Amino acid sequence: MRFQYLLEQAMINLRRNVLVVFSAVVAVFVMLTLVFGTIVLRWSIDQDIGRWDDNVRVIAFLSDDVSLEDVDAIQADIQQWEEVEAVVYFSKAEALVEFRELFADQQSLIDVVEEDPSVLPASLRIAPVQASDYSTITNRLFVIPGIREVSAADEAIDALVARSSRLRAFAFWIVIVLGAAAVVLIANTIRIAIFARRDELSIMKLVGAGNWFVRIPFFLEGITEGVLGAMLAVALVWGVRGSIAELFSTAIDPGALSVPAEFMIRQAMLVLGFGAGTGLLGSAFGMWGFLRD
Amino acid sequence: MIRVQDVSKVYDGGTVAVRDVTLEILKGEFVFLVGPSGSGKSTLIRLMLRQELPTDGKIWVAGKLITELPGWKVPLLRRSIGTVFQDFKLLPSKTVFENVAFALEVIGRPRHVIRNQVPQVLNLVGLGTKADRLPNQLSGGEQQRVSIARAFVNRPLILLADEPTGNLDPATSVGIMRLLDRINRTGTTVVMATHDNAIVDAMRRRVVALERGRIVRDQSRGAYEPPVEGDL
Repeated sequence: MRFQYLLEQAMINLRRNVLVVFSAVVAVFVMLTLVFGTIVLRWSIDQDIGRWDDNVRVIAFLSDDVSLEDVDAIQADIQQWEEVEAVVYFSKAEALVEFRELFADQQSLIDVVEEDPSVLPASLRIAPVQASDYSTITNRLFVIPGIREVSAADEAIDALVARSSRLRAFAFWIVIVLGAAAVVLIANTIRIAIFARRDELSIMKLVGAGNWFVRIPFFLEGITEGVLGAMLAVALVWGVRGSIAELFSTAIDPGALSVPAEFMIRQAMLVLGFGAGTGLLGSAFGMWGFLRD
Repeated sequence: MIRVQDVSKVYDGGTVAVRDVTLEILKGEFVFLVGPSGSGKSTLIRLMLRQELPTDGKIWVAGKLITELPGWKVPLLRRSIGTVFQDFKLLPSKTVFENVAFALEVIGRPRHVIRNQVPQVLNLVGLGTKADRLPNQLSGGEQQRVSIARAFVNRPLILLADEPTGNLDPATSVGIMRLLDRINRTGTTVVMATHDNAIVDAMRRRVVALERGRIVRDQSRGAYEPPVEGDL
């Protein structure tokens, strides 16, 4: 009965100042939409970088004079590097097969390599643990004797990684600013509610209502505002999550990139918790220095 | 029941409201605090309620040293004290019943207790038939009865009244005083600040007179004005 009573009081507060409450909820909504949107976007980008992970990122071309035993030794050595996920030996014959597939419509090029097999060397194809590790691997490969040339598919990954971390830094600051605004707006609704009920509160204090009995409705009010804003943010981002995933995708078929529901639910819980936390903080600020005896 | 020892209260800015006051009020007593405006009556009541802390001195209420009471225990102290003010302090949007029930609700009394006790106390103050009225549908005297009902519904040990008849005409005031007297007879200690000399003279109870923050007279069965020499 007591909790129900306190909740009722919080709801009365919310109804009494619909407009101010609305502005606080909108602030939380905008902030958390950005937070949640960024989380989903980051997931998409990571997923995109992850696709490259499956592929070989660094290719070490071997000199023709390296013996097969030496190749085995080099391969075993590289395999032990901690940046390296997998090393695959790619023979001259395999390279030729691949070349034929890639340039099937350009017979003149195929004629050239078939005439001089030294044009297509054997290679070690290396998959890094993380896509961004390619440069370390490239640098280490250069000093190994028997490796003629190193090539890495770096630019696309670099751009993606940079975009992803720039995005995170940008979102971080926007969220800080919007978060502060949301806290202040919630604090404001609490102050207004306290002011509107000042007579009631002074009587409550006089007849010996407990401090928490007086405070809890205001905390509940703030938390409700925060959670309401968070729910709107979750609903919006949930609705457009497909479009967000497509936004920065370099995948050939972005439509196939669907954000898994399990991931969404877990992150949505976090966002709701964050909303509740914002509300709690706002109410605490709003009550600061008030509601003393 | 109440013990005030060497208490002074200096407000920010240097106004001395209470100066070196020592006072003992026993259980079941009825005490008038009299004196002109600004003599320190209200401050003394606020100190007993721990709405303020003294600059100096100690105060015991109901056996507790309230000047050193931690903040979270203050609500418990207040539950043993009922308060009545000149301006009634009723909530205009609540009915008579709700105003009285409010005092029990906010200290977490269960509903059946509220349903039981509120009509009882409303009968005691003579408003049993007006439970559904709003405060602005009542006369000043009736409103003050509601506020007394609210102060008494929790059966406090002490009733502090700050100018309870200040807004009422003399005839109505007599009714209020009868009510306070009745409450006092149940064993409740009553401390009432007033400058209504007719009432003090009619009741003939203990009178503590204050002037510029000092106690200048403490007389049992006293009158508002100090007795003239040779007068008895």
